[in-house]
Amino acid sequence: MMNRANSTESINPNKPSLWWNAWLARRLPPSKQITLAHKSIFILPTGFGLLWASLILLLFILGTNYQNNLIIGLSFLLASLFNTCIIYSYKNLAGLSLSSLPSPQAYAGETLVFPIKLSSKQAQFEVLVSYPNNQVNVVKVIKEEAQLSLLQFNNPSRGRIIPGRLKIESRYPLGLCRAWSHIDLDNQVIVFANPIESHSTLSALDTDDISLTLDKGLHVQGVDEFKGLRQHIPGESLRQVAWKQLAQGRGMLSKEFQQPQGQPLWLTLDNLSAVDIEERISKLTWSIDKLSERGQIFGLVIGHYKIPPSDGESHRLACQQTIALLPFRREIG
Amino acid sequence: MKGSRQQEIISRHSLLWLLITNVVILLPLYDKLTPWSMAICGICLVWRYGIFMGRVAKPPRLLVTTLALASALTLALVTSKIGLLNGLINLLILGYSLKYIEMRDRRDVRIVVIVGYILIAITLLGQQSIYFSVLLTFIATINTCVLVSLYREDVKLNETARIGFSLIIQSLPLAALLFLVFPRLPPLWMMPQLKTEQTGISDEVSFGEIGRLTRSAALAFRVKFDGAPPRNHQLYWRALVLEDYDGQTWRQHDSIKMLESNHLAPRSRSDPKGPSLEYSVIAERSNQHWLFGLDVAFSDTADIVQLPDYRLYSPKSLTQKFQYRVKSIPSMPMDMTLTEHVRNINLQLPDQNNPRTHTLAKEFEARYPKPVNRLNAMMNYFTSQPYFYTLTPPPVGPQQIDDFLLENKAGFCVHYASALTFMARASGIPARMVTGYQGGEWNKQAQYLSIYQYMAHAWVEVWLEGRGWIRLDPTSMIAPERILEGFDAYFQGGDSYFMDSPFSALKLRNYPFLNELRQTFSSIDFYWSVWILGFDSSKQEQVLHQLLGKITREKIAFFMLSSLALIILVIAYSAGLLHFSRGKDKISSAYLKVCKLLDKKGVPRRFDQGPMDFCLTVESQLPVIAGDFSQLTQYYIALKYRTLTPSGRKSTTKLFIRLSRQLTLKLIKL
Repeated sequence: MMNRANSTESINPNKPSLWWNAWLARRLPPSKQITLAHKSIFILPTGFGLLWASLILLLFILGTNYQNNLIIGLSFLLASLFNTCIIYSYKNLAGLSLSSLPSPQAYAGETLVFPIKLSSKQAQFEVLVSYPNNQVNVVKVIKEEAQLSLLQFNNPSRGRIIPGRLKIESRYPLGLCRAWSHIDLDNQVIVFANPIESHSTLSALDTDDISLTLDKGLHVQGVDEFKGLRQHIPGESLRQVAWKQLAQGRGMLSKEFQQPQGQPLWLTLDNLSAVDIEERISKLTWSIDKLSERGQIFGLVIGHYKIPPSDGESHRLACQQTIALLPFRREIG
Repeated sequence: MKGSRQQEIISRHSLLWLLITNVVILLPLYDKLTPWSMAICGICLVWRYGIFMGRVAKPPRLLVTTLALASALTLALVTSKIGLLNGLINLLILGYSLKYIEMRDRRDVRIVVIVGYILIAITLLGQQSIYFSVLLTFIATINTCVLVSLYREDVKLNETARIGFSLIIQSLPLAALLFLVFPRLPPLWMMPQLKTEQTGISDEVSFGEIGRLTRSAALAFRVKFDGAPPRNHQLYWRALVLEDYDGQTWRQHDSIKMLESNHLAPRSRSDPKGPSLEYSVIAERSNQHWLFGLDVAFSDTADIVQLPDYRLYSPKSLTQKFQYRVKSIPSMPMDMTLTEHVRNINLQLPDQNNPRTHTLAKEFEARYPKPVNRLNAMMNYFTSQPYFYTLTPPPVGPQQIDDFLLENKAGFCVHYASALTFMARASGIPARMVTGYQGGEWNKQAQYLSIYQYMAHAWVEVWLEGRGWIRLDPTSMIAPERILEGFDAYFQGGDSYFMDSPFSALKLRNYPFLNELRQTFSSIDFYWSVWILGFDSSKQEQVLHQLLGKITREKIAFFMLSSLALIILVIAYSAGLLHFSRGKDKISSAYLKVCKLLDKKGVPRRFDQGPMDFCLTVESQLPVIAGDFSQLTQYYIALKYRTLTPSGRKSTTKLFIRLSRQLTLKLIKL
C-alpha cells in the first residue's frame, strides 16, 4: 500500500485539496466504464465567456445611452446565445461513454499509454481528453461507433501506476462555456522497472553453482521429455512416428522430444553488483527479459518470496510485476 | 493549457469564414469610413485574401504596429472634421482590419469576432429599418459562425452555417423575452452623436428651396391618430416659422434661434382647452431639431421644448427615429395679443425691394381698409389672374416677388406664400411664412398617415385683431386639389417629383396590386418603428399589462421563470437532448403487421411457431411471396437475435423496413 501512495504522489505534484478529491470520489466513483450525465458534468464560463459577458454589458450601455432598442436587442440576443451555449455544452458531453482498455506494457521512464474507448449516441465534437499534466488528446468527432483514444502519460516510475482522474472537457460550440468532468476509469497499470543491461546474471548461467540450482536450465532438443507433435519429414527415423495419430487419420506426424540442458537459474537481487537497490532492480528487469527471450527457465527469489522456475510469457510478466512492485528504498540495509 | 497549444492554430476553414465575415461586416459601414480608412481596410482585405490563398506571408508585427500608429495619428488629425464618434468608429474599424491580418491563434479570432459584434451595433446606430435589422441579424449570425468554425474544422461551409443559424434561431425567443421584460433605463450619460447629412426642410427658404424637396420620395414622418384622422386639407404640419426676409431668403428670427439654442421653454402656454386631436408622431432621422404638429400643438413627451410660436422642438438633433405624443387643439387661437416687438418683426420688409408689389399692396390697402376683407381680396387676386402651379417655374431676377407676381405668374407654394406674406406686410398686416408638410398618405392596413419629403409645403400666417394668427394658404387658390386631396392627386404620377428617388416604391402606386403590396410593406415597417424601435418603458408597461393583467413583482418573476423554463426545454429538445421514447418497438410492429396481413390471406401463424417455422409454412402456402418473406425473416432474426455493429444495425433496419413495406403492398394487392 505504501507503494500505491508513493506512486500517486509522484504523478500528481500539484494535486487539488483533499476534500475536493474526496467529494469527487463520492460523486464519481471509479469504474471501468462510465457514461457522463448531469451528475458528472460541470459547466463554467471560460475567459472568453467572461469577455462575452462584458460585450453584452457594453452593448446594453451603448444601446441605453443612445436609446437604441436594436442595440439593446443585439445585447439580449448575445446573452440568449450564451444561454443556448450552456445547453449545447452540456449536450456535447452528456451521454459520452468512456471505458478503459488494458494498457500495453511499459518500462519506467517510457511514455505510458492508456487506451480509452469513446462513444456516444449523439454526435459530439472536439472533446479534449487528458490526464493532468499530460498531453491533451483532441477527439474531433465522437459517434455511436466506439473509437479509441490513446492517452499519453509521461515518465512514470516503476510500480503500480494509478493515472488518477481523467479530465474530459469541451468548449463546443462557441467557446463560451467549458463543460468538463473528472472521471476515474479504474485503469491502473504496473510499470516495469527501467531495464539496465547487466551481464552478471547471464554469466551466472555458465557457473556451476549447484547449491543454487536444483532444476535444469535451457531446453534443447533431446529424448527425455515429450514436447509435442510436428510434421514428419521423409527420411526421419520411424521410431519417432506417432502411429496412433496416423491410425486416427491425422497424417504422418513425428513425436518430438526435448531435454533440459545446463543449469536452471535462480535470479535474486543479492547476486547483482550494484549498491543502489533501484539499479539492481533495473538490472534484474533486463535479465528477466533477456532470459525469457532465450527461452531459459529461471526462478525468482526476493527475500522470502519465491517464484518457482518456469519459462514463457506469463512467467516473465509475473516476475516483472513482482519486482516492479518492490517497495522503494534508497539503500539496502 | 500547454498541451493544446497546437490546437490553437487557425484552420483554413475558419480563415475562410473570417474572410466572409470581414466583408459583410464592413460593407454596411462604408459611409462612415474616411477615404484613408477605406484604403487601409482594402489593403488588409487583399492581404488577408493573399494569405488565405497562400500567396503572401503574414506581415511582420512591426509593420502592423506602424500601420496602426499611422492610422491612429491620421484619424486624430481628422477627428475634428468628422466628429468624435466617427473618429472612434474609424479607429475601431481600422483596428478590426489590422488585427485581421496579423491573427495568429484562436484567441485573436475570438477578439476579431467580439469587435465584429461591436461594429454591427455601430451599424445599427445609423440603420434601423426592419430590412436592415434582419440583414444585420444575418451578419451577426455569420460572425457567430466564425466561432463555430473553430470547433468544427473538417466540415463544409454549409454545415457550420447550419449550426450557427440554428444556435441563433434557438436564442431568439429568450432574446425577445428579455426585450419584453427587461427594464428600460434612461440614458446613463451623454454620448457623442454621429455627424451626418441633414435631411428634410431647412431653417431658411428661398424660391428654389422646397422645389428640391419635392423631388424626394423619402419618408419624413408617420402619424397615428388616436381617433379618426382629420381631412387632408386640415393637415398642415407646422415645422418652422420664418419671420426674417431679406429680399431673397426667408429665415427664422434671431430671437427664436436664441430660445432654441438655449433649450428653454420661456413661457408656459395657457392650458389646452377645446376639442383636441391626439396622436403620436414617429419622425424619421433628419439630424435636425424641429418636430411636426398640427395647429396649436402640445407634447408631454420628455425632452421636447414647446416654443412661443407654438412649435415643438427637440434639443437633441434627430439622429435616429424619434417617437413623441402630441395633443393639438385646432380651435385654439395663437397669440391673442401681440407684443410691439413681435409685431415689428412681422411687418418688416427690406427697403427698396419689389416696388411694384409694394404698390399693389398699397392699392389693396386703400380699397379694403378692413384687414379681413383685404386678405380675402389678396387671396382672390390669385384666382382672378392667370396664375399657374408648377414645380418647374421660370427663373426670377433680383426683384423676385415682382417678377413672379406680375410677370411669370407661375410657381409653387414658396412663391405664392412669399408673395402673400410680402403683400400683407406691405399693407400693414403682421404676417409670417410657415414651412412644414401638407397632407399625408393614408395606410388603410395599419391606419396611419405617412408624410413624405415631397409633401413639404409653405404657407402663410397672418395676425388679426381678436383672432390671433390665422393660417392662409394661397396655393389652395391656384391648385385646390393639391390641398383637398393631397399632392399625389394634383401630380398624377408623371411629373418631375421623384427625380432624386428613381427607384422609389412610391412609383408602384399606379398599379393597384403592387400598390397594395407596397402599403403592406409600409405597415410592417410602421409596426416595426412603433413596437421595436419605439419600445420604451410606457410601451413595456402597456404590453405587460395586457399579458399579465395587474403587474406585480411576483407575477413578472413567475412569468419570467416559467417562460425561461419553457425556452430552455425547447432548446434542449431541438438540440437533441431530450429523447421521448418511441413507445413500441418499430421492428416487431412491422413484422407483426405482415403476419397479421398473412393471417387475413389465410396463412395464420400458430402460437408455437417461431419466425423460422412460420417462414416454412408461408413458403409452402404462398409461394408468390416466398422469396421476399424468407428475406424479411432473415433480417428480422438478425435484428432481434444477433449482435450487430451500430452501422450494420442501421442499414439492416433500413432494408427491413423497406422490405416490410413492399411486402405489405404486395399482400394487399394479392
